[in-house]
Amino acid sequence: MRIRAAVSAALASAGILLVGWQSGVHGADTRSAIAAAATGNQASGTGTTGSSGAASSESAASSATTGGSGTTGNSGATGASGAAGAAAKAGGTYDGDVVQTRFGTVQVQITVKAGQVTDVTALKLTDAEGRSVQISNYAAPVLRDEVLQAQSADVQTVGGATVTSDAYLTSLQAALDAANL
Amino acid sequence: MNTQLLPSPGTGTPMRPAHGPAPVREAGRFASQHRRRLLRADVLTVTAWSSLAAAVALWLADGGLTAASSPAGMITALGIVAGLAGMDLVLLMLLLAARIPFIDGAVGHDRALEFHRKLGKPSLYLLLAHGLLIAVGYGMAEGLDPVSEAVALWVLIPDMWLAFISLALFIAVVVTSLVAVRRRFPYEFWYAVHLLTYGAVLTSLPHQFSVGGLFAVGTWQRWYWLGICIATGAALLYYRVIQPVRATFRHQLTVERVTSVAPGVVNIEMSGLQVGSLAGNGGRFFIWRFLAPGLWWHTHPFSLSAEPVRKGPDGHGRLRITVRDLGRGSAQLLRLRRGTKVAVEGPYGLFSSAARSRDRVVMIGAGIGITPFRALLETTPFAPGQATVLLRGHSNQELYLGEEILELCRQRGATLFHLTGGRDPASPDSWLPASEHRAGYALADYVPEIAHADVYVCGPSRWAGNVLNAARASGVKEGQLHHERFDW
Repeated sequence: MRIRAAVSAALASAGILLVGWQSGVHGADTRSAIAAAATGNQASGTGTTGSSGAASSESAASSATTGGSGTTGNSGATGASGAAGAAAKAGGTYDGDVVQTRFGTVQVQITVKAGQVTDVTALKLTDAEGRSVQISNYAAPVLRDEVLQAQSADVQTVGGATVTSDAYLTSLQAALDAANL
Repeated sequence: MNTQLLPSPGTGTPMRPAHGPAPVREAGRFASQHRRRLLRADVLTVTAWSSLAAAVALWLADGGLTAASSPAGMITALGIVAGLAGMDLVLLMLLLAARIPFIDGAVGHDRALEFHRKLGKPSLYLLLAHGLLIAVGYGMAEGLDPVSEAVALWVLIPDMWLAFISLALFIAVVVTSLVAVRRRFPYEFWYAVHLLTYGAVLTSLPHQFSVGGLFAVGTWQRWYWLGICIATGAALLYYRVIQPVRATFRHQLTVERVTSVAPGVVNIEMSGLQVGSLAGNGGRFFIWRFLAPGLWWHTHPFSLSAEPVRKGPDGHGRLRITVRDLGRGSAQLLRLRRGTKVAVEGPYGLFSSAARSRDRVVMIGAGIGITPFRALLETTPFAPGQATVLLRGHSNQELYLGEEILELCRQRGATLFHLTGGRDPASPDSWLPASEHRAGYALADYVPEIAHADVYVCGPSRWAGNVLNAARASGVKEGQLHHERFDW
């Protein structure tokens, strides 16, 4: 009888862990798909015309939506600013996508002068919980410096602030696309 | 006459009853009861392990593994898993101590508390690991040393100071429950500190839901965690507060009579309403609280020493416990006044017919541990000749309620042995008096069919341990052994 209890307990526990692991892996797949889309975006975004940049940013937004991981891109706004972006290479500010994360929404704004990103401002940062605010306040300046130096979204995410960094860089990429950089 | 009262088996063979074995209708009725009880225990085991697995699965489902890619992330992840598992164990501990009939009826109250004690240290270690690993992991992510990270968590994050207090309380509760520490303090001190568990759990809850990203608003994980926390709290409130208060008001027990049985041993008779619902299974114990000045804050776990007697149609009746002066608490009971109101919780435990698994039954009691058998013998079903009672004491006077038990054995056809005399100081493993032990008697000499019987043992824990070992040596399986500890 003790054997019956031990075997069923082991099977039940293994089953529960497997289900948890599988749903976790599934979530991670969709997350990395978004990341891949964002990176591809950035590769095609550098040195190409505005229309292709807008298209790829739209595909990134749609893949994020179909991924269903809770990240939705504001593709309408991107499209509009992307259309304007072709003529606005000289300068101005561009808003990135509003990216939803479980810790709150993230949106960045870039300031462009003469084809160079001169500033990144976080319009919204993860703030759902006390911990998130702390992480955001710590991660945002680090990311800003890295982005200004690299002049792209292709920078290291900040350790311990993965979700915030990913959302930050996704929004940033959309802003770069909009600015046609 | 079916009953034999023998000093040892050597002086004669117990007579068998004239009317043969138990009726077929009766045979095997306890086998299915036993199977159901084992199934229940197994279901509980599986549920407990599943809940632990589920706590880890919550984290896995949240993509916990992907977050653990950097060293800092890995340490933080371990800390989170330790916290989840630790909290799950704490909830299991609370449920084990909640006196839930489903749990107590499956494994027995004392076994449930034994599991509860076993989980104490693991859960504390997990919670300590949780705090340390999180401080290190977060600290590494932010470039802080663990101490300043801990300070930052305390100061900056809402609810975290409560979590620090909670951890300190958990440490206090577990340390005072260590056997070595517990012996140095009176029971009441330990009990008061143990009540802090509720404070520890309550202060730990806010940070789980506000700081723990896993339980962010809108996640199914949050609902699951809230669900198990609320269910545990509700079970505690119902079974440890509402039920006892209701029972006390329903039964309206008052002390009727206190009569001396032997030096330092008294019968306490109480009368009250609806005593029938306190009856039935014999041997189960109640927690008594005598509402007199200086006594009301003591609780006493005692079994009934006689089945309740109903006198009126409204369930008005009388019940009885037998108490020996074992310590400061029970000494005062010898001087209880008539009319003292009594609060009652119970019945608890499994030292009753509910534990039966075979048609034959053997009851082995020593000293004050004899008294629950007085009630069990009254009600537990057996055919004449299928029960054996062994009573152990230093002298005949120490075989408390021996006369009543002899009379019951006569009526019901049980074999009775009185085993009196001091033990053999040379063999501490023996449960027999010195003379019987030297003569080479064993348990099977008194009860040849013991391997096919339920064996109930009640007495001082050292002696009871010896009896249990003797029974195991005679081929009695664990499931047939029923032992009630009464020395806590």
